[in-house]
Amino acid sequence: MSSKETWMRQIRAEIGVVAKADGSAMFEMGNTKVVAAVYGPREVQNRSQQLNANALVRCEYTMANFSTGDRMRKLKGDRRSTEISLVIRQTMEECILTNLMPRSQIDIFVQVVQADGGTLSACINAATLALANAGIPMRDIVTSCSAGYLNSTPLLDLNYIEDSAGGADVTLGIMPKLDKVTLLQMDAKLSLDTFENVMQLAIEGCKAVADYIREILLENTKQLQYRRGT
Amino acid sequence: MVGLSIGEKYFIQGGIAQDLRTDGRKRLSPRPIFVETGNISQSNGSARVRIGATEVIASVKAELGRPSALHPDKGKVSINVDCSPTAAPMFEGRGGEELSSELSVALQRCLLGGKSGSGAGIDLSSLAIVEGKICWDLYIEGLVVSSDGNLLDALGAAIKAALSNTGIPRVNVAAGASGDEQPEVDISDEEFLQFDTSKVPVIVTLTKVGRHYIVDATSEEESQMSLAVSISVNRQGNICGLTKRGGAGLDPSVILDMISVALSVSERLINTLDSQRAAAEAGKDEL
Repeated sequence: MSSKETWMRQIRAEIGVVAKADGSAMFEMGNTKVVAAVYGPREVQNRSQQLNANALVRCEYTMANFSTGDRMRKLKGDRRSTEISLVIRQTMEECILTNLMPRSQIDIFVQVVQADGGTLSACINAATLALANAGIPMRDIVTSCSAGYLNSTPLLDLNYIEDSAGGADVTLGIMPKLDKVTLLQMDAKLSLDTFENVMQLAIEGCKAVADYIREILLENTKQLQYRRGT
Repeated sequence: MVGLSIGEKYFIQGGIAQDLRTDGRKRLSPRPIFVETGNISQSNGSARVRIGATEVIASVKAELGRPSALHPDKGKVSINVDCSPTAAPMFEGRGGEELSSELSVALQRCLLGGKSGSGAGIDLSSLAIVEGKICWDLYIEGLVVSSDGNLLDALGAAIKAALSNTGIPRVNVAAGASGDEQPEVDISDEEFLQFDTSKVPVIVTLTKVGRHYIVDATSEEESQMSLAVSISVNRQGNICGLTKRGGAGLDPSVILDMISVALSVSERLINTLDSQRAAAEAGKDEL
């Protein structure tokens, strides 16, 4: 399948955009721009939440007022943000080796600067890069991509207009080396065969994102080595 | 953020007293400033400004609205700042609200003039379309992505750059609308008028640490400050607003001194912003 429907939008990533954070990254998929910052592992702020055997992973998802087409009076802590924060936390918690950092806290903050469909995927990809930049041990990277089904065609990486057109929207997150799905969300309805096709397309998209992320991380490590003088 | 030890505090204060700050700058030297415009394609105008590790994004959106009854020939501008939790963990949830409102009010004071709208840096009458009925409402949003001190100056520069990047669509008003009716308007998708920002001021903040004041403080230096004075100056050298923060007292002669320093620093800042914008536009024309 090499027709235009199976192409992803252009992706671009940058590591270390928030100098004060332990790790940070900016991830763009088409017009969707997301900044993720990781603070941790650090001391748990709320002692009652401390876990004796694992690190506590917290996540907050926020959207800028100007991120969507209509300027919205965003309320912090509204339902959608809380749900997405929870989804991102569960996905990233799965891949972090939390047992190596007991009694500590890892904060992942994700800020959407511009939203044009696929925000959840962009957030997860940005969070993965930020965690790697912070040097937090992980089982594998997590990459995410969305796919949909419009006019009887599976489409990869929907933008806002395509997403609003009423077809199905499948968001998938996988750990590419371990070949395990950690996030799967779908709305609207699809027949089982179509769903398999769409899911397969999303998995390919995720693998393409994983290749790009590995490239970025390798390049970043080379830069660090160079600066160290080795 | 980890606190500073006593040794570090003395180092910062001592350096400032000897005109050699921790990053090697003199007291009155600002950090280099980098401006990018047009990053948010969904907004009418946008800019991203980086001063050292401080990074802010400003966005300007224009929507049609009704002018207020007190000023039927003027448009409306609202400025709002949000501190993203990515800048500091303490901004999570509602933690950043206090700082956000402080910054929003300071910016409003510097850019929007007095209660009657007089002396505003932004020309509100240029936003009117049909007197008393239709005007442009500008929503200016600032977002602090990363914080290393001097947020107010960075936001001021970002808003000025975003406004210079703002294109207001041309509006054709249907003729022949009577008295109370709302006239029909046709918003052009193609033609845009560039917003005039020649009168928009920039903000320069002077922070007092010990017995001396510095320009463009980092967050470490700000943690040692006794007070800060933010002065907004426009290209003509007029002072458009002044805010003093912090409880310590200030000798009146020192204030005049600070203002003259702010005037010279602001001139350099305005020139830097204009030249970066011209360079960005020249780059776009080449493409």
